[in-house]
Amino acid sequence: MLIILLFNEMSLSGPQHCLKLKCSECLLNEVDSHYCPMCLENMSSSEAKLKKNRCGNCFDCPSCGHTLTTRATNVAISDPDDPGKSTPKKMYYMACGFCRWTTRDVAIDDKTVASGGWEDIENTHAKKIQSLLDYYHELALNEKAERERKKYVRRRSHLYYAASMDKYGMVTVAVKKKIGAMSNVSIKENEETTTQITTEEKISDFPALPDDFFTTPLELSKVTTITQRLASPEFQPTITNDLYPKRKHLLIRKSMRCKECEHNLIKPEMNPLSIKFKIQLVIMHHIPEVRLMAPMEFRFKKELKVVLLLINPVVHNTTVSLLPVDKESDSFSTAKIELPKKEVVLARRDDAAIYDDATQMHQEFKDEKNVVAFRKANKLGVIIKVTPLIQEGDVKVSFVLRHDYRNTAVVLPMENQEPQISWLQHRIFLNLGRIHKSK
Amino acid sequence: MAARSQQRSSVVIAPGSIICDECELVGEITIGTRTVIHPKATIIAEAGPIIIGENNIIEELTIIENRYPEGTENTGSQAVMIIGNNNVFEVGAHIEALKIGDNNVVEAKAEVGRHVELTSGCIIGAQCVVNSDEFLPENTVIYGSGCARRVQRERPPPQNLQIDFLSKILPNYHYLKKPTKQ
Repeated sequence: MLIILLFNEMSLSGPQHCLKLKCSECLLNEVDSHYCPMCLENMSSSEAKLKKNRCGNCFDCPSCGHTLTTRATNVAISDPDDPGKSTPKKMYYMACGFCRWTTRDVAIDDKTVASGGWEDIENTHAKKIQSLLDYYHELALNEKAERERKKYVRRRSHLYYAASMDKYGMVTVAVKKKIGAMSNVSIKENEETTTQITTEEKISDFPALPDDFFTTPLELSKVTTITQRLASPEFQPTITNDLYPKRKHLLIRKSMRCKECEHNLIKPEMNPLSIKFKIQLVIMHHIPEVRLMAPMEFRFKKELKVVLLLINPVVHNTTVSLLPVDKESDSFSTAKIELPKKEVVLARRDDAAIYDDATQMHQEFKDEKNVVAFRKANKLGVIIKVTPLIQEGDVKVSFVLRHDYRNTAVVLPMENQEPQISWLQHRIFLNLGRIHKSK
Repeated sequence: MAARSQQRSSVVIAPGSIICDECELVGEITIGTRTVIHPKATIIAEAGPIIIGENNIIEELTIIENRYPEGTENTGSQAVMIIGNNNVFEVGAHIEALKIGDNNVVEAKAEVGRHVELTSGCIIGAQCVVNSDEFLPENTVIYGSGCARRVQRERPPPQNLQIDFLSKILPNYHYLKKPTKQ
């Protein structure tokens, strides 16, 4: 799964700054609105609920699930007055471009209008489902009323006291209202529930399967598949002639919010064109990149120098230090790791640097030979020493990357302020390679 | 090469057909009228003659071959491959079926094996492979990555408009093979 990591540095207002790395998994996903993926029509949540989360105009193929398209044909209709004369008339039907299913396949009549003429088939159980829904709705109401009533009973004395002290007549109105509400509740209570549900009868015996069920050979092309049946759970057609176009499911636009600072990181717009994708928030533009320089061959308990490539994506020099993690809390590592003790400085990213001589850079930074393997533009090779503690399997290490970060994206230049420098720490998990069992 | 050019002479092209010169025709092939063969299509009649009917469209990179089944090399007995009328072979289709009826569509990159019999109105979907030993009933549709099947009610309509268009356009940009004199 693709996870886009976003860097949440948005909280302009307020003293608390949120500089957390976020991915789509750890953000708060919220339903913004519903829309049809085919006709892109927007719908409010309540409207979508009313339409059972399906689009009113677009249909899916009941055979393969692909979107159906409307086709127009000319049909000659003979004049009732003059049988010899016929007038061409445009008729519309729906066809699937993928499995070539058409509404004509299942003998659905062509429509005279291009859209909107397709009505749903009646669900025979709709009444039963509705009565059940009503019943449970009523039960829920009763329970709610019961809870309310208990609250009033407790408060009643206060209310009457207040009423006796009332100067402006406001409380009396409120009391009357509430008593009225209570009387309603009591009526409901006495009646129990107005709508009664009929319990289904238990079926104890049913006719045996007819003989021809066993004798006639099965025609696979006339029987629907399980996926086709389950695609419309209310009808579950068993033969292909019962297939009927399905209304297209709506999709949601979701907005993503940081759980800590509640700032909106991704906000969908009604018009897809006006979405401003916050590309400057993608972490690859802010946080140094850690790469493994070259694959290594590891041996059990044999120390090896591994070169990690650090790449600076920002236009400032970044001071980086690699810190060890707590031994006890580290269940990931399978190797001992020795990190450079001193801080190293990553040179700023300079897009024009590749055209210059790289020599001046070396003078600017005083690198120690046993820590820095090489330096080139904004790239730096850092040496870490790894001793695998396993006989075979993946050699994995973990450490903390600590670096300074200038919050440049937020601070406006006219404010004439020093950009705020903060220190960020990231836990890095590295899988360096695999030890194969020695022969 | 000499043998090939000699074989080439046994291609019979009916008048009214549009056969681009850049297509490869090998062996004994008969092509009916109003059939369009795009450049870079390959038709190889190795194990017997190929007879192609009328109003067919054979698009580029299509391979139609009548070749010996694996393991049996040149036993002497010949099998004739017959393709009916109004068929469409889309880009990159690979046909080895010996019997193909009318109004079939073999979509892009689909494969039809030697032992399959395509009747009429069948559609082999894009990239579907059918190489079993079977007889496809009329109007069978094979589609999707799982080669799901269904039978449709109407056969696909003949592509007359497309043939008219191609017969107008192709001669503007390609040399054509001349019809064989009677």
